[in-house]
Formats: sequence, structure tokens, C-alpha cells
Amino acid sequence: MTDQALPASLRDAWRLRLPFSRRGRVLVAIRFAALLALVIVAIMTPGFFTAVSLFSLLNTTSFIGCVAVGMTFITLSGNIMSFALSVTLSTSGIVFIATLPLGLPGALVVAFAFGAAITGIQGAVVGYFRANPIIVSMAALALITGGATLITQGQGVYPQGEAAAALKGRILGIPMPLAAFIVTVVVSQIVLSFTRFGRQLYMVGSNWRAALAAGLNPARIVLGAYVAAGLCTALAGILMAARYSSGDLELGIGYDYSAISAVLVGGTAISGGEGSAIRSFIGAFIIAICQVLLLLHGFSTQIQYLAIGVIVLVVIMLQTLADAE
Amino acid sequence: MNATATARNAAAVAPADAAGTREAAASPPPVVGVRGLSKSFGPIAALTDVSLDIAAGEIRGICGENGAGKSTLVKILTGVYRPDEGSVLVDGAPAAVTTPRQAQELGIAIVAQELSLCPDLSVEDNIWLGSLRVPFLHKRPELRRRAAETLALLGASHIQLDAAVATLSIGERQLVEIARLLTRDARVLILDEPTATLTDVEIERIFAALQAVKRDGRSVLYITHRLAEVYTICDRVSVLRNGELVTTVALKGLDRAALIELMLGRPSGEMYPEEARARGAPALVVEKLSLPGIVDDFTMTVRRGEILCIAGQVGSGAAEIIAALAGLVYDADGRVTVNGRPLKLGSPAAAARRGIMFVSGDRAAEGVFRRLSVLQNLVATRLHDHSVLGFLRGGALRKAAARLASSVGIDRRRLRARAEELSGGNQQKLAFGRSIERQSDGVLLMNEPTRGIDVGARAEIYRLMRSFCDEGYALVMASSDLEEIVGVGDVVITLYRGRQVGHYRRSEVSMHRIVADITHPRDATS
Amino acid sequence: MRALLANRSVRPYLLLVLITVVLWILDGGRGQLLTTSTAFSVLQQFATIGPIALGLGLSMILREIDLSVGGMLSLSGCIAVLSGADYPALGVALAVLFGLVWGLFQGAIMVWLRLGSIGVTLGGLLTLGGLAYVVTGNLSISYPRMDVALAVNNPVLHIFSLRSLVALAAFLAAAFFMARTRVGRDVYATGSDRRAAMVAGVRTSAILAGVFACSGMLAALGGALLSYSLAAASGVALTDALVPAIAAAIIGGVSLTGGKGTPIGIVGGVLVLCLLSAGLNAVGTPPAVQDVVTGAVLFVVAIADAVDLDPRLYAIRRYWTAMFVRRNDLDRSGKTSAAE
Repeated sequence: MTDQALPASLRDAWRLRLPFSRRGRVLVAIRFAALLALVIVAIMTPGFFTAVSLFSLLNTTSFIGCVAVGMTFITLSGNIMSFALSVTLSTSGIVFIATLPLGLPGALVVAFAFGAAITGIQGAVVGYFRANPIIVSMAALALITGGATLITQGQGVYPQGEAAAALKGRILGIPMPLAAFIVTVVVSQIVLSFTRFGRQLYMVGSNWRAALAAGLNPARIVLGAYVAAGLCTALAGILMAARYSSGDLELGIGYDYSAISAVLVGGTAISGGEGSAIRSFIGAFIIAICQVLLLLHGFSTQIQYLAIGVIVLVVIMLQTLADAE
Repeated sequence: MNATATARNAAAVAPADAAGTREAAASPPPVVGVRGLSKSFGPIAALTDVSLDIAAGEIRGICGENGAGKSTLVKILTGVYRPDEGSVLVDGAPAAVTTPRQAQELGIAIVAQELSLCPDLSVEDNIWLGSLRVPFLHKRPELRRRAAETLALLGASHIQLDAAVATLSIGERQLVEIARLLTRDARVLILDEPTATLTDVEIERIFAALQAVKRDGRSVLYITHRLAEVYTICDRVSVLRNGELVTTVALKGLDRAALIELMLGRPSGEMYPEEARARGAPALVVEKLSLPGIVDDFTMTVRRGEILCIAGQVGSGAAEIIAALAGLVYDADGRVTVNGRPLKLGSPAAAARRGIMFVSGDRAAEGVFRRLSVLQNLVATRLHDHSVLGFLRGGALRKAAARLASSVGIDRRRLRARAEELSGGNQQKLAFGRSIERQSDGVLLMNEPTRGIDVGARAEIYRLMRSFCDEGYALVMASSDLEEIVGVGDVVITLYRGRQVGHYRRSEVSMHRIVADITHPRDATS
Repeated sequence: MRALLANRSVRPYLLLVLITVVLWILDGGRGQLLTTSTAFSVLQQFATIGPIALGLGLSMILREIDLSVGGMLSLSGCIAVLSGADYPALGVALAVLFGLVWGLFQGAIMVWLRLGSIGVTLGGLLTLGGLAYVVTGNLSISYPRMDVALAVNNPVLHIFSLRSLVALAAFLAAAFFMARTRVGRDVYATGSDRRAAMVAGVRTSAILAGVFACSGMLAALGGALLSYSLAAASGVALTDALVPAIAAAIIGGVSLTGGKGTPIGIVGGVLVLCLLSAGLNAVGTPPAVQDVVTGAVLFVVAIADAVDLDPRLYAIRRYWTAMFVRRNDLDRSGKTSAAE
């Protein structure tokens, strides 16, 4: 099977095509070298491949990863990021636990609808009015946090009965969160690479006005992107709530930053129009691996946090070096 | 290479300057000059080995058609671009002009084609913006007075000094920009197409101000398309063609046809294709189109196979009419029918449904998806035709893209390249390719179709335009390039400040006619 | 009068008057809500949010945004607390110096690599927050000098304190600078249209670096004094400070599109938020309501400042009149109208 047979869109997603510009190629070389270095350090670190560290790695990464894939839709549409996904995660979890009396399927439907709705409203405002996405997401953050605190009175919500237990544990031998993450990545990538909506999303993110002039409806596409983000985040929220057997606003704090870090480290452009779900998948794992390596070498969680921040800064600088051509 | 080039350039400059050679030995060095200037953008050579000198107290015209290199030359002189080869000389000595601020320090000031006013600042602040003479505490009565005087000189005292520039009309903004130029104590004033938005009365005032500047011993570089203005105001003219300096001659004794031939290098007929072979039924009928604040009561009929040009200055409404027909202006009002069916204004999707295709001259803003591939760009409007249940049929799209690429002359091997890697001309062809072949009774709308495109690519685009019309399309374009309008248009409509002035067939039209129409207000009766 | 209403920087003060009136009504003459102690707590909160809002607002006038102020707030507090045990002034000075250096660093990256501020300051936010997290080890570091903590918060003239006076001084200096100096005008120019300003001869790179240095210093100053007043430094959650600061700047008349807004307006915006919070507190509403109110205000302002607002409103109006006309005709004649 020749390279030609691989659909072009998938090849782009995997960055198999070399950029034409020299700076772009230098960038790819740097990324490759960095990845190689990472792999080498991982192999040489004792204890990296033990079950314990890998297991905890996979679980956390899966939750962040789902949110990162959702964030990817928003970033691709040219709207940079959302600061509200962390509270969307926790509130979706709360809604899920709270509606378990309706039965598992019912609770799932309500929780997903909730996540899609509160993110969709932001998408509608950003899409139809072209309001500033950062401000809108901060407003949503405040509104949702305040509203949820008032409703829950700051207490956690606990499930009655064992209906949620079905979502803990493994499916086909893979931990549930990881399976969900993989499915999310696969479905999202299919949507981005092979559907009309996905292609239009790239166009809108690349150049809103040109998309409009080409006869698209950018507002509707942006709305779709935000709804997708809401669904991915709700999924993570549901699984997290199931895992910890509680719905609580404390869950998911800081996930906005972890998610956007994964998106950027994976190579999606912060200005939109370029990137993919697979890249965010890789980015999430790169960050997780760095964190575990730091942990195994004796660095505290705080240092890990700092390291991620520095990595993001460096990645942003490198990425735009290539674009500057 | 450099020594011989310098010798060649010296020889090129000297003969035309025969009158001055005797004085050259005794007189001071030229105020500003360039030697062996070359600049390329990727594969396109914008300037090749250009050398010229400007003396003090001289008004020099720089002429050449679109893409000849005039704006590039000026941008190098003012520090916006850095030359690949060659140097800029000030008072005979090489000078490093790397930022606009340095150009100012060296005594060079410019009014560029693209206005550089900050919309949120007041007129007074804009006039003094970036000037070296402004002290730290910048609100000084003497500066304010000087600003008011300069505006009065240009006949613009009605413009309030404290008004935000965003509230001014385009003509008023141009005058503010020229006021800024006059308040800079520059030794060389450069004006690049400064009259693109002005009336004939305003133009006269500016010429008077420039004459005063000349008497003051300062020099002026005047870049324009408009040959009548060159003859009115300039002493000598330097002609650029294809990035090279053709010659520098005195205007006295040079007749218009000779100047045009110098600019084009050939009789003007060859660039433009012949006129329409046959004229068909009305494709687009516009009645009483109005755009609040911009255009009033515009009416026109475009027939199949015809190229109709709307001629107007920047801000006259020509570009806005095209945008409104494409559905990009939300408060447009009027009756428009396409092939007899009514068109809903304000919606690009509705326009697309009626078979209207829009190719914008502002490729970066409206045309091209820079990071997407050429292939993805070409099929951008066709996704619905090649998708099943929301999924794209990749093979069909690739075939369609290949077909479109060949029909507009884009190399198939570049299909995978990113759109931003193409030249300006190729990007425009991309925009073209996206819009064509949807149906043979479509209407093509174009805005400044050849802006920023080199001569070779332009001829190709004109050929494409004509061939599409021959196949049955109707084409409407807005342009401020007068030569292009005269060359390409089967029908020309002239606009002044949002109102229709004239309606000409190809045989009736001339550049002189058009300029008169678009710069001169008419009363309602004429 | 119309011009006054249209002035973006006056609007927050009108809002302020409105809120004061509402509170006075709710108070019902009992003299519990509108007291000097309320004014004092409002101004104390002003001292906390104000400097960040000013720094953020300046970067927004420049048509950029400095997200890192959230992280700077916590980190500068740590620096001040750790180094200011013997000489409190030294602690503040070091923190401000760090703010200056970091701001210049961010500005330099943006200028040399031609990057947008969102990416760089997002990285900055994460890095600074991470550093604060590392330094504090996820605990609070306490500040041994209680006398300093008291001095900083001591009421001056009943309603002010050292902190709020410093904040006000910073605003006044900024207001003078922006309105009266050439550099201030250049900041507005760069924010209004950077390309045009550059072509006109403005040193836009220097302006960029300078404004980010200022926002770093202001956030650092605010953070240092805040930690002194709390007698502790802690890693504050990153977005906690950002949301009210942005809200305050936007209410204060700063536009996201750059080139508009004044420091005096931002003062008004901050006061609006602080008074709202103090008022809600006094009435006894839970703090979560403040979040909701802030969020709602921010949401409304985001829409009001939105790019496509006018076209959409136009379309809505057209749709509405079409519906209305049709319904009218239906009522009258029972047939569908000809307006189809």
C-alpha cells in the first residue's frame, strides 16, 4: 500500500508530510529529536514500565485527554480556548450522579445534553455575534461556578445505588477511561478528517471571512465545534464522577490548563485552522510521560506543574517560528 | 557585477539628464537616490537594479503600470522593506533606512497608498503621530495651531481637530494623511497615489501646496497612474517597467502616447483580449440598490458574455456594490434579479444559490485559506456536491480539484502545497478556480482582480475572464485601475461618491473620460 | 449630555451611582449599608483587584492581553514575603523588579518572534503559577512581620489604607501618563492600528515591551502588598484573579479591539465590581451570587462588544418586522400577506 493510498487528511493529521519551508522542516526535526529524547529517558528510567506508574498515568491522561480533544475543536475553529471546560466537567458529573435515579441510560443522556447545552450556548454567542471567546468562556466559568455552588450548596453529590459502578472497571481488559479516550479520539478524528463538517471547521478556523464569502455558515460551524467540546467534556465528567463515586465541583480543577497544554504541545495551532485530534492525543501523552518521569526522578508535583508551563511556553515559541515564514 | 552595474546605471541616468550634466559637477549631491536596488519576493523580482537621483527642489513623477515596482521602490526608501541588493543614498552618502522612524530622521516622509491613520485617535493626534518634533508632553498649543493651519492650506478647515478619524470619510482621511506629510519637515516628500479618493478641487489644492514645497527647496516624489496629473505637477518623470528603470526624462516635449509606450513597452492593445463576441440575455439586473451611507440608487443590467466594469475611486462605493451583490453587506437594500429570479441580499449563501460567484481582490482577507492546501482551497465551495451523508468523498474531490487546477493554469503538482506558499497571481487563480464551472449561466463578481499581481499573471487572468464570458458567464468587476477598465470592459459605469455618473460602451470610453467622471461631482440634472 | 453618556469612561461611574442608589434604597435609612466601613472594605478590595485590572487594561488597550497577571499575583507575593522579612520595602522592590523583568521578557518574545500575546502570556501564566506552586509547596508561607501587615491595612482618613492609596496613586500616574504624554498617545495608536502607527514612525516594539513590563510591575506591586496584608503568600488559583480583573477593565470602558479606554474608566469599573460585591455581602447573599453577577455582567458586555452585533441585530429586527407585518395582515384579512 503506497503512501498515496493513505487519505491526505490522515497524513496531515500524522504530520507525515514534510513542510515545504526550511524553517518548517527544522521545526519537525526539533520535535522529532525531542520525542526521541523523551523515549530514551523513559526507557532508561527504572520503574517507568511498572504497572503502577503506567496505570495511574493512563487514568489521569484519559480524563485530561478527553477534555483536550474537546478543546481541540474549539481551538481549530479559531477560538483559541475555553476557560469553562473544567467546570463543565465537574457539573456534568454532578448532573450525572444526581439523575442516576432515572436509570443509567437516562442519566447519561441528561448529562451529555447538559454538557452540550452549556457549552453550546457559549458557542452560539461566539459564533453568531462573534463575541470574544476568552471573555465569553470566563463569563461562563463564573456563571456556572456560581450557579452550581448555589444549587449544590458547596456539597458533593453522592450516588444512591450501584448503577454507576458499571462505568468503573474495565472493558475488554482496558480501563474504562482509557477506552473512552481512545473512542473519543477515533470518532473525533474521523469527523475532522472525513466529514464535511470537519473540513468546514478547518476553513472557518483558517479564515472566517473567506469561509463566509465561500458560502459557508461559520456561525453554525462554530456552534457545532463548541457542542462537540461539550460532549467530550461531559464524557470525561461522567467517567470521573463514576470513578470517584461522587459529583463535586472540586473535580476537574485546572483541567482547562492541562487540556490546552496537551492541545498546544501536540502541535495544534493556537490561531486555528490547523491541527487534529490525534495531535492532542499525542500531546496529552507527552505531558503525562513527562510528569511521570519527573515524579520517578524525585521531583514534586509542583515542579511537574512548573515544567508543563515551561514546555507550553517553549512549544508556542517554536510553533510560531515555523509559521513566521 | 557591482562595478559594471554601477557604470551601466550611471550611463543610464546621465544621457537623459543632458541638461543637467554641465551643472552636475558644481551642484550639490542629489537629496536622495538609489543605486542598483533589487528586491524579490520569492520567485517574483519586484525591482531589478534600479538607480535614480532626486535633486533638491524637484518634483519627480514615478510612472509605471501595476506591478512595475513603484510601491516597492517607495517602501524601500521609507524603511518598510530592506533591499536584497543595492543601497539608498542621502546627500550622496549611503544611508541605512531600516525603519520608518529612520526614514523620518533622514528627512524622508510619505503618504502611502494604504492610509496609516489610527481610527481611535483624534485628527490632531494623527497628524502629529510619530513625528520627531513632538515633545514628551504632547498637547502643545503651537502644534495644534500648526495642524489647523495645514488643514486650512488643504481647504480642509471643516475637519475638526478633535474628531476621531474613524468618523471621517475616506476623502477627509486622505487629506489628514497629507496634512501629516506637510507637517513633517521632510526634505523629500513621497506621495504614492495620493489622489485616489479626492475630487478635482481637492487635487488642485494639493498641487498648490506641493508647488509651495518645491519653492521651499524641498523635493517631491509623485507616484501615480494618472498621466494628466503627472503632466500638471511634475518636472521630470522616471518610468518603471517590470521592476526595471526604463528612463528618466523631462516632461516637456514628451507626448502622452510616448509616455504610455515607455510604461507598457508595447502598444497598449496586446495585454487585453478583444471585446465580447456576442451579447446575450440579461443575466444580472440591479435596481435601486442602496447601501446606507455609501451608495444611493444604483441601477445596472449585465448581459451574458459581457464584462461590465464599475469604475470609481476608493470609497466611491464600487467595491461595496460588488460585495453587496455577493451577499456580504448586511444592510443592503434594493431589487436584484439573477437570470430572472430574485436575489436575497445580505446572505452569501443565497448569492451562491443563485449562481453568483465572488472573487475578492483582497485575497488574504476574503479569498484564500492560507494554511489549507491548494486542493482544499479549490474544492472549498463544492463540498456538498461530493459528500454522502456528511462524509466527504476524497477521490471525487481530488479529481475535481485536479480538473479545476488545469482549467485555470495551476500546476497539478502544487495541489498538496499550502495555499500561502503560492505567489499572489497563483492565489488569485486559485480564487478563480474555486468559483468557476459551477454552471454556465453564472455571474462572476470581482473586486480589484489584479491588485498586487505581476504583469505576466495579469494577462493570463484577463484571458481567463474573457474565456469564461465567452462560455456564457456574465462578469462584473470593480476596479480603480483605469487602464484595466478601458482595456477589459465591454461596458463601463462610473461612480462618484456613491452615485452613478456615466454609462459607456467600449467604443465610447477613454481614461480621460473616466477620470473626469470619478473625481468631479455632477449636479443631479446632468 | 449625550456625549457624556457615549463616553466609555463615564459609563462605569453612572453604573456606580445606580448601584449606590439601589443600596441606599435597600438600606431603608437604617444606615447599615452605606457606612464608612463599607467604603473601607470596598477600597480594600479595590487595592487587591485594581492594580491587576490596570495592568490587564493597559495590555487590552494595546489590543493584546496579559493573561500572566494571574500567576504574577501569587508569585510576587511569594517573593515579597520571602525577601521582605527584615526590610519590607525591599520585598516589595524585589517583587516589582521581578514583575518588570518578566514583563520585558514576555514583551521581547512577542516582538522578536512576532507572536501573539495570548499564546505567550498563557505560557507565562502557567509558568508563573507553576513557580508559585513550587515555591509555596502547596502550603501558605507565612509572613512574620505582623506590624507590616497592620500598617499596610491601617485605615487612613477612615476609608483608605496604605494599600488602597498606593493603588490609587498608580491609577493617577497611569491616567496622567496616558492622557498627557506622547508615549501614552502612542500606546493608543499602537492599539488602534499597529501597522499604521509603525508606518507613522511610532516605536511599536518598544511600546509593546513597555506596556507588558508595566502590567508585570503592577501585578507584582498588587501581589506584594496583598501578601503583606494577609501576612501570608499562597498559590492562588490562577483564574480567580483574572475574571474580576477582565470584567473590571471591560466595564471600565476598555475595548477588546484596542485603542479605547482610560485608567480613570478602569477605576470606575473596579469600583463597580467591589461595590457590587460589598453590597451583596452586606445584604447577606452568598458569595456564589457574586460569581453569577460578575459572570452575567461579563457575558452581557462580551455581547455588547461583539464584532457581528450590528448585523445580527439588524437581521433580528428585519425578521421581527416581517413576522409582525405578516401577523398583522393575517389578523386583518385572514389571508397570508403579500410580503412574501
